[in-house]
This record gives sequence, structure tokens and C-alpha cells, in this order.
Amino acid sequence: MTFEAIVFYSLSALVVISALGVVMHRNTVHSSLFLGLSLAGVAGIFASLSADFLFAGQILIYVSGIAVLIMFVVMLLGRASDLHLRQVNNQWLAAVLICCISMVGLWRVASSFSGSTVTTAAQPTTKLLGQLMMGDYAVPFELVSLVLTAALLGAIFFSHVEKPE
Amino acid sequence: MTLTHYLTLGAIVFLIGIFGALTRRNIIGILMSIELIFNAANINLAAFNRFLHPQGVAGQAVALFFITIAAAEVVVGLALVLAIYRNTDTVYVEDFSLLKG
Repeated sequence: MTFEAIVFYSLSALVVISALGVVMHRNTVHSSLFLGLSLAGVAGIFASLSADFLFAGQILIYVSGIAVLIMFVVMLLGRASDLHLRQVNNQWLAAVLICCISMVGLWRVASSFSGSTVTTAAQPTTKLLGQLMMGDYAVPFELVSLVLTAALLGAIFFSHVEKPE
Repeated sequence: MTLTHYLTLGAIVFLIGIFGALTRRNIIGILMSIELIFNAANINLAAFNRFLHPQGVAGQAVALFFITIAAAEVVVGLALVLAIYRNTDTVYVEDFSLLKG
């Protein structure tokens, strides 16, 4: 077993097991902690795919931004009585069936790429990404900043409480 | 390692996310499952970029846009959840029947 395979399988096990923890765990606080672990594992997968800027972005935005934000909201909304309630609805058997059937289809698609391996050496991609963002993708880049501003205003608008006079 | 390994990992994470989004009763659990689905898509994009088009970075650029949109989505989603919780006093989606009157 090569070093690359060891890294891939250990990171995959981390990602899959903690993703299962996210959807299975009864306590939502533990679920959000598992979410942070799973997202960190995905960052490792990015690093093994030589996507260094995505690795840094994943750590900065997902693990230290979104996971922490979700954890805050979980702790704001949580109640002690939630731990005794069932956390899945009664259609979980149908959901398992849907997932198994979809897995068969996705596996057929994925197995058609079994011949493709890496041919070139890994290179840092940050400089290329910067050139692409300022060149071909300049318009989507500016649009995304507009979307972020709209999201900021929307979040303030929705969470604003009107004080009674 | 072939592309199949990475695509299979992406498919498994995607289906775990779908399972969570279909079965969780807690609205924050559903939001977390949607984050898993986004990450599965990002794994696939980075893998396709590395294996099929290693001289360019377009796949990683699209994945970066996905990360940004996901951040915006989760911020607005959590603000909506807080607003709904303030009105209905519950986080379970079967009790969110405000639009039915």
C-alpha cells in the first residue's frame, strides 16, 4: 500500500464516519462538532488533490466559519428536553432505500473512470487561481461579492427584532 | 489512486447528506446535511480538475464559488431559522405550518 493510498483511505474514513455522526447523532451539539470534523477531513482530501488554495479556504470558511456559526445557533435554540425526542422522522426506511438505489447508479458512473490516473506532478495552484479570478472569471467574481452583500443585509433584516414603542 | 476512488467518496458523502436532509426532524440538522452535500460536490470538482484537466484550475475556481455561495446560504438560512424559532418556539420542521394559516 502506497503512502498516497494510506492518506486517502484514512481521510475518507474520517470524512464518512463523521458525516454519519452528523446525520445519526441524537444530540445536535455533537452533530455540529462532527460536522466540523467532517469538513476538516474534506480539507485534507483537497490537499491530497493538490488544491492548496481550496484547502486553506475550506479551513478558513467552513471549519472556522460555518461550523462555528452552526454551533452558535444550535446552542441558542437547544433545549434539554430535545435529547429525549426522536430526531428522525418515520420515513427513514424509504430514505435508506432511495440512497441505496442512487448509490448503485452513482457507482456505475464512477466505475467508468477507473482507468484514469494522475499523470502530472502536483503544483501549487494559488497563482493560477488568482489570474483566473481577475481574468476570465472577473464578472462572476464581482457577482459573488454582490451575493455576499445581499446575504449580509438579508441576515440582518431577518434577525432584526422590532422594539415596541 | 484512480478517479473512481474520489468519485465514490463524493457519492457516499452526497448520499449521507441526502439521507440526513430527508430524515432529520431538526431544521439545523437539515442545514448541516445540506453542507455535506455541498462538500461532496466540491470533492468531485477538485477530483475532476486534478485527474482530467490538470493543466487548468477551472474546477477549483468553481469549487471556490460554491464555498462562497454555501456560506451566504447558511448565513441567510440560520437567520431565517432564528426568526421562525422566535415565532413558533420550535425547531422541528413538522411544526412549521405557518403558511397553512
